[in-house]
Amino acid sequence: MTDADRGLFGLIGAATLLVPTSVVVAADYLTIDVAQREFFPSAQSFEPVLIGLTPEQKANVAKLAGPQPPHGSLRIWSALENGVNVGYVFFDEVIGKSDYISYATAIDAHGALKTIEILSYRESHGAEIRNAAWREQFANKADLAQLQFRTDIKNISGATLSSEHVTQGVRWLYALWQTALRAPSS
Amino acid sequence: MYSSIITTVRRRTRAAILVSLVVASTSARAATNEELEAQLRTLADQVSTLQAQLAKVTAEQNAQLTSTSPRGSLTPDVANGATGTAAPSNDRGVSFFGYGEITYARPTDNPSDTTENAQRFVIGMSNQFDENTRMVSELEVENGVSSADDPGEVEVEQMYVEHTFNDRLFGKVGLFLMPSGLLNENHEPTNYYGVFRNRVETAIIPTTWREGGFLAEGDTEFGLRWDAGFTTGFNLSKWDPASPEGAESPLGSIHQELALAKASDLAGILALNYTGIPGVRLGASIFTGDASQGQPGFDDNRVTLWEAHGTWTPGRFEFAALYANGHISNTAKINATFVGNPTLIPESFYGWYTQAAYNLYDWQSSSIKPFVRFERLNTASNYADLAPGLTPSNGPDQDIITSGFSFFFAHGVVLKADYQHFHGDGESDSVNFGFGYQF
Repeated sequence: MTDADRGLFGLIGAATLLVPTSVVVAADYLTIDVAQREFFPSAQSFEPVLIGLTPEQKANVAKLAGPQPPHGSLRIWSALENGVNVGYVFFDEVIGKSDYISYATAIDAHGALKTIEILSYRESHGAEIRNAAWREQFANKADLAQLQFRTDIKNISGATLSSEHVTQGVRWLYALWQTALRAPSS
Repeated sequence: MYSSIITTVRRRTRAAILVSLVVASTSARAATNEELEAQLRTLADQVSTLQAQLAKVTAEQNAQLTSTSPRGSLTPDVANGATGTAAPSNDRGVSFFGYGEITYARPTDNPSDTTENAQRFVIGMSNQFDENTRMVSELEVENGVSSADDPGEVEVEQMYVEHTFNDRLFGKVGLFLMPSGLLNENHEPTNYYGVFRNRVETAIIPTTWREGGFLAEGDTEFGLRWDAGFTTGFNLSKWDPASPEGAESPLGSIHQELALAKASDLAGILALNYTGIPGVRLGASIFTGDASQGQPGFDDNRVTLWEAHGTWTPGRFEFAALYANGHISNTAKINATFVGNPTLIPESFYGWYTQAAYNLYDWQSSSIKPFVRFERLNTASNYADLAPGLTPSNGPDQDIITSGFSFFFAHGVVLKADYQHFHGDGESDSVNFGFGYQF
């Protein structure tokens, strides 16, 4: 082993040892319980929502949402403030490249999306979707026309599948809200 | 059904509590302390029983939700019910993925050299051992048929185990793609423009470049991703001075792909990428390692390859640029034994490109994106000095202009057409068509 080798290995070894310690502190996935309270801090309770869609509603959701990746489980809660619904919280899973991404988002009573929270990401490839700046692109979007991948929600070079599939998943949740959950007056 | 059961259980709970309280309040005056304690114990038992029933029904409901979840379906299906705290399932198991492409190339000066090729067929498989540990593998067939009489190859392109240490730190061990450039880790046909991969990231960065070793990977909330690790490296004793392969891709001709790879000298790689601004990626990497691998006649032949890259997607535009530079040290002594052969070992080589694409039209999952790319590369931009008259002339810069379009007509499927103009080494211009998919 030459001096250059020793220097190189020392440098890379130092990088592998030092860099993780600086980032571990900043990282902390939310649980769905915490995410619910971050989405609607004034809500006193979150009641599970049961939905049964008619075939016509299903077709409408699919049409509005557009192409979809494989999905995992879906759960919905109604955020209640003094017994009054102030929005919905969604837990959804979409495939990334080869494994599922678990994420949560919310829509308020006026139809505005909150940011998305990544609850579990299982593969290193495409993990950049956890960046706060990328996730916050969803905040305050209030129409499916504002949820176009690449134009409204930017692609992440090197994480194309993950960023596209999460965007498609959010489109589906919004289409579901429009079809089955939206209050007549909103 | 489950909602009605839950409602019934809750009603019964409330009723039991109410009745018990009424009984307790009306009889308290006459009852002894012992009788009251007995009633309370009875009441507590009833509540415990009802709580257990409620927990059982809730568990059954969650099981029903899981079994009816739309996993694997292309169309999400609303669950029949939802309740409880969402917890990601550990039941992930095996999943499959893959990509493939067929290309057609027609040189305008030599139509008789026109070829159509089943360029790549790749099947990938991953297995989730537990929530934090997974295996990823890819098996590739190149050029249609692989046999002693055919030009194809069968390759294990990736085979590694990845572990999540915490939310921001991954590690992988095995055979994996090197985090170098824009293409190497994202080389599927739907991820790049042009029927063929760009020449810089083929000739200078030997995509698909993989090595065996250990790689630590991490990222930060503000968008900085880093990769660092130790890997196998190149083997300069593979250099064939009689073959043009080294002139086409210096590192491509001496890579080992973990096929009985010489591994007495390890290498290291460090890569940084910043994606903290949506639509922007800026990154760089450096790889270095001794390629002499303890072989006779080779000593301290260090290969160093570094590159810097960036992408930017304002509105419907997509821009990309990359610069790569390679260096091999102490080549003079080896080249002295190669004098008289057509391909000596270069001391340095480089390439760069810029690319622009535009999302001209999109509708649901279809889109049309024209693009243009300019590349300049030199696979032998400098040679180490030999004796006077023996040092080869530096290779020529090669310029390539590629223009065409990608038509994404379904999610994960692309049709491509382009025209390539070559300038610098006499290579014929070419009209190319192709299709590819990824899932």
